[in-house]
Amino acid sequence: MSVVENPSDYSGTRKGEDKSFEGVWDTPKGIRRLSSVSHRVVGRRFIYTGFVFFLIAGFLALLVRTQLIVPGNTFLDLETYNQVFTMHGTLMMFLFAIPILEGFAVYLIPLMLGARDLIFPRLGQFGYYCYLFGGIIVLSSFLFDAAPDGGWFMYVPLSTSAFTPDVSADFWLIGITFAEIASVTAAVELITAILCARAPGMSLAKMPVFAWYILITAFMIAIGFPPLIIGSILLESERLLDLPFFDPALGGDPLLWQHLFWLFGHPEVYIIFLPAAGMVATMLPTFVGKPLFGYGFTVAAVVSMGFISFGLWAHHMFTTGLPILSLSLFSAASTMVTIPTGVQIFCFIATLASGRPRLTTPMLFILGFLAIFVLGGLTGVMLASVPFNWQAHDSYFVVAHLHYVLIGGMVFPLFGAFYYWAPHFTGRMMSERLGRWVFWLMFIGFNTTFLLMHVTGLRGMPRRVATYPEGLGWDRLNMLSSIGSYILAAGIALFVFDFLRHKRKGAVAPRDPWGAGTLEWLYPPVTPGFNFHAIPPVKSREPLWDQPELLDNEAHRVEGVMRGIRDGRRETMGCDPVSGEPLYILRLPHPTWIPMLAAFGLAVLFGATIASFYWVSAVGGAIALVAFTLWGWEPSDSGVARDAGMGHRLPVNVVDRRSHTHVGVVGTVLVLMALFASLVFGVLYLWNVAPGMAGAARLPSVLPVVGAALAGLAVAGFGQLGRHAGLKDRFAGAALFALLTAISAGLALWALWAALKPIDPWATALGATLWAMAAFVAVNLFVTAYCALFNAVRRLSGQVEAGQCLPDFNLATYAKGTGLMVVATAAIYLAGALQGGAG
Amino acid sequence: MEAALDIFDAQWALNGAGVGASRTLWLTGIMTVAGIAIFALVMVFVALAWKARGEARTWWVVGGGIVFPAVVLFSLFVGSTLVLRAIAGGAEAAHVIEVTGKQFWWDVVYDPDGRAIRDANEIVLPVGETVEFRLKSADVIHSFWVPSISGKMDMIPGRVNRLTVTATEEGRFRGQCAEFCGLAHPLMAFEVVALPQDEFDAFLDGLEGEARDAVTPQERRGAEVFQTAGCIACHRVGGISDARIGPDLTRVGARASLGAGMWKMNTGNLAGWIADVRDMKPGADMPSYNHLSGPELRALVAWLESLE
Repeated sequence: MSVVENPSDYSGTRKGEDKSFEGVWDTPKGIRRLSSVSHRVVGRRFIYTGFVFFLIAGFLALLVRTQLIVPGNTFLDLETYNQVFTMHGTLMMFLFAIPILEGFAVYLIPLMLGARDLIFPRLGQFGYYCYLFGGIIVLSSFLFDAAPDGGWFMYVPLSTSAFTPDVSADFWLIGITFAEIASVTAAVELITAILCARAPGMSLAKMPVFAWYILITAFMIAIGFPPLIIGSILLESERLLDLPFFDPALGGDPLLWQHLFWLFGHPEVYIIFLPAAGMVATMLPTFVGKPLFGYGFTVAAVVSMGFISFGLWAHHMFTTGLPILSLSLFSAASTMVTIPTGVQIFCFIATLASGRPRLTTPMLFILGFLAIFVLGGLTGVMLASVPFNWQAHDSYFVVAHLHYVLIGGMVFPLFGAFYYWAPHFTGRMMSERLGRWVFWLMFIGFNTTFLLMHVTGLRGMPRRVATYPEGLGWDRLNMLSSIGSYILAAGIALFVFDFLRHKRKGAVAPRDPWGAGTLEWLYPPVTPGFNFHAIPPVKSREPLWDQPELLDNEAHRVEGVMRGIRDGRRETMGCDPVSGEPLYILRLPHPTWIPMLAAFGLAVLFGATIASFYWVSAVGGAIALVAFTLWGWEPSDSGVARDAGMGHRLPVNVVDRRSHTHVGVVGTVLVLMALFASLVFGVLYLWNVAPGMAGAARLPSVLPVVGAALAGLAVAGFGQLGRHAGLKDRFAGAALFALLTAISAGLALWALWAALKPIDPWATALGATLWAMAAFVAVNLFVTAYCALFNAVRRLSGQVEAGQCLPDFNLATYAKGTGLMVVATAAIYLAGALQGGAG
Repeated sequence: MEAALDIFDAQWALNGAGVGASRTLWLTGIMTVAGIAIFALVMVFVALAWKARGEARTWWVVGGGIVFPAVVLFSLFVGSTLVLRAIAGGAEAAHVIEVTGKQFWWDVVYDPDGRAIRDANEIVLPVGETVEFRLKSADVIHSFWVPSISGKMDMIPGRVNRLTVTATEEGRFRGQCAEFCGLAHPLMAFEVVALPQDEFDAFLDGLEGEARDAVTPQERRGAEVFQTAGCIACHRVGGISDARIGPDLTRVGARASLGAGMWKMNTGNLAGWIADVRDMKPGADMPSYNHLSGPELRALVAWLESLE
């Protein structure tokens, strides 16, 4: 990584120490660069990879527009067209929009918050490779002439093996689920990083607003992605194992898929919009020269948007025959989301009014965002009206609406962000003159393409049609839309040219080139790879504006905590999640291949499953398991205290609820609970839809169900006792309770199996879902047992020293989560058994 | 490809040729005007904010971001719910028509609980009378949409969805499948003919019963080909065969279109369809009958066209 543009800028302070400090933070060279775990490297990889997917998906969009330029066109045949529009949507939503925004977050968050890295760097590397391998799996379907062609929404039964017998749907389900692991891991990583690693004094209320946007988005990903992951797993097992989750003949329901898909799919829209809006809220104050107006309003709006977004999913299902009352409720909820959106827009407008705005290229993109997104929001309100929705749903009106919201709400801010943060990546400025051309080509091209589609839709043209007859009033509209798409593409091509050009010929960026107030501009671009020589205390939301000592000094001389290194390790500051006061020294891992190996093992597992080479799948799973074990095995650093500078003497990796690893475990348990809740939703939904079918199936046995619940309580209890013993440094006790936790998990597993034995999962959808729920709990029990044995072995083999009980602490939390799932599962089985109706 | 139904506005949601469509038309008009006005207003605010210097006020955010949208949205919600009740509010249906979506055509049964008269790919409605559509699917999800008359409703396997429709204007309209249903999804359309009540009744009477007898020698030859070439394995023709796999052909000659509303019904298209259906509609279950001799094909076409 060529971060050292001008070494004299930050060398020469505290001789002898900085050299080794820089050495510790060096990114490995050559092929070993792939083993880097730095958020700067990983974030950039996410961004560049995401942009490549954007270009591919954009090319597919041009194929679509070229096919539709005249009626009855034969440029693409039906099958190819269906593949092209499916892959356009799939790549844009799953492999471009979310990963590229997460890439920006991964890159910017530590810089803005005053951390040297994200605090789970290996998880970042693992997530990136999952994303890359998953994306490659999805794209490779083109090589096998098996590109998915069932739409990005994969509705059943069209995507079941009865109507899609080839492997195209498997490519989609397995590849996308694999890539989604990256989104979920990044979410856990970002939540923990934002809560646990901020500059001294940066309380939640002093966080840059971008961090709030990302924090809320990360929570939404953690809760919003699980329904789709569960849906995909159920559908894939219907395809591979013939389990009848969605088969109406056996009590299943195609609408269950739609509920799970849109439970994910609607929050997804806000997951895409919020980080981009966060970028706007970050760039706008810079060009106005005044802080964001209404910080509190904005944060409150973002939080409420996060909640509301989970209550709207059914407005994608207004035409499926839901009862009128549900229609009205979801219609009301859908219009309600306008209010937090409106608050944000008016905060932006008020910010504009509070200073003297400068019309730079990023500012142009912000204005473009305001115009396009507001229009998209208004058509969204129209679509929330049920009678109008019955006309416009699945017509080109919706195509217009969604592109206004997503391109206006995400792509325009993103391009502004590229112009704004480019100096961070390359040390040079992109061209203001070309930037204006890029903007106007994109803006004119976009509106030509999509404004007309509102009319095309009302003229009755449905979406996803490969061709259309002439003379229905769609001919000229489509031709103009296609011409517009070429103009839009020309703008994007010019952007790519400008980006490549500026890396060599762009003006060298000065320190804080835009006059921004946020901490990522502390160093002259490019910031060195460790982000901060010393982490400065932060007293304001715009530290560079309000704390003159930051820009008056050379960046490497700025006073702060954690100057230099201790014990030759990478470190950053761990803080109290609320107040931001320094709490502990956070030890970070060094470059490693292990996360990549784990991702590779999973890639083998998933790839071989598509190809039905199940032995190879097992080998891949084994590779991943070995890699995860090695990942966890590293010696713990906790239990010592070190001087952190500025009068702070702090423990390393504190054993506390506020420890970053514990916050990470809590985040993981949150994701697991959301996955579990999606399965519970499936069970209750099917129970409700086909109660007669439930009666037709056998019942779970009562005695083993009670046993499972008791074993679940034992898992949680022994985990907690192990934590207690660990905190008191009772080595044998901690090891014993870890073993007992593992044994209880094994008993719970056996009891669940015994309870379900009478139920045939192939006979009814409800039975299959009960088995799926048990399988999910079983996986968690297995992981609990594995981790418990792992902790016991570490203790018994003398790897653990006094005070190092974080693993026991974290296991206890995980075991409580698992125990809760076991008890909840048992309760549902019991309710079924007692009612004489379930499964 | 020329539309089978070359009426420029045949699929225009703002035609308002039915109760659903015309009530929605009003809603659409009001929302469009209000939407444009609000958009213009916000852009004026942006322009004013650009010119203003340091005068931001909290009440802008409260007024523009909370109070104003709350008032507008509440009125919209009330209006839209009233329209919804008016459209879907359980009016007593005079007729029931069952339509089953199949890849990639429409199976139609008039009065399914009584006379059960079958037809396909063309639906006739009585003007001014309320009709309940019972929408089903035989395979994947389809969506039934006649924009000129009413909004759409999905056809979902394992469910029966109901859509109440009242045509208010005579005419011929085009409907189309609106939910992606696989390979030939764009080629799954149909026609709707709204007739005065007496003509509708006459149409139903004509539809009932057996097919018209073959008269000319060529027609008789055609009927023979129909039975020997295998057509009867899938297609029903009243009095000749009772298969239900493909569209009912008892009155096929009376339809204006062919291939689920996609091509004009004429001798050339019909012959082309029989000889090479897989080319005209990839993904159709029907095999191409390109082994029929020229005379056989002409006879078959002549007979089918005579079935009015």
